[in-house]
Amino acid sequence: MADRRYETLVVIHPDQGEPGVKELAARIRKLIEEQGGTVSQIQEWGLRDLAYVVAKQRRAFYVLFEYRATSKALAEVERNLKLTDAVLRLVSVRQAENAPPAPPRTARRFEREEGELEGAEQENLGEEMP
Amino acid sequence: MMRERAGERRGGKGEGGGRTFRRRGMGRRKVCRFCADKAMLIDYKDARALGHFLSERGKIIPSRITGNCAGHQRELTTAIKRARTVALLPYTAAYP
Repeated sequence: MADRRYETLVVIHPDQGEPGVKELAARIRKLIEEQGGTVSQIQEWGLRDLAYVVAKQRRAFYVLFEYRATSKALAEVERNLKLTDAVLRLVSVRQAENAPPAPPRTARRFEREEGELEGAEQENLGEEMP
Repeated sequence: MMRERAGERRGGKGEGGGRTFRRRGMGRRKVCRFCADKAMLIDYKDARALGHFLSERGKIIPSRITGNCAGHQRELTTAIKRARTVALLPYTAAYP
C-alpha cells in the first residue's frame, strides 16, 4: 500500500502542562511509528489563544506532526487521537509530495502575529470594500 | 501536485476578447491576490493571512468583494474551514 505524506495538527488540553504535552507528543510519535509511519517533523507551537472556547478553555497547546504513512495507518492514528481525552481537536491533511516542510515557528512569532491580527481585522473592511 | 489548480493554467483569454462589458460605477479592477503573487500560499495553519479574508463577524468575504479567482477562493474556503475546526479562526465574532 502506498504511503503518503500527511500532517496532523493536534490541539491539546492546557491542563497537560508543558511536560505533559512533550510526553503526549512522544506517545503520538510512537503511535504513528507502530502503524508503520515515519515521522519527519514534530513542531510544538506552545500555548496559544483559541479563537473560541473549547472544553471551557480559552488557550491550548498546539502540536504539528509531519509524517509518511498509509491511509490505513492514518485512520488508526486518528481513531486513537479521538479517544484520547487530552486531545481537544485535530485536523489531518494530505500534503503534496513536493511541498516544502512546514517552516519552524516559535512562540515569539505568535505573539507578534496576534497583535497584527487585531490590527488587520479593523482595517480589513475598509481595504476590501471600495 | 494537489496544489496546482485550474486557475493558474488559464490566461489565454480574458482581456480584449471581442465584447467589452461596461463596469458600473468607478473603482479599479480587482485582481486575485494569489494569482498576482505566486509566493503567497494558502495554508490553513497561517491564521494571520487567512484573517484578511474574514469579515469582522468572522464570515468568509465573498470573492465578489475580494476579487479572488474561483480556484483560489475555493482553496481559501477549505483552508478557513480547516483552521476553524482547530480553533485557529472563529466561526463567529467573539461574544462578550
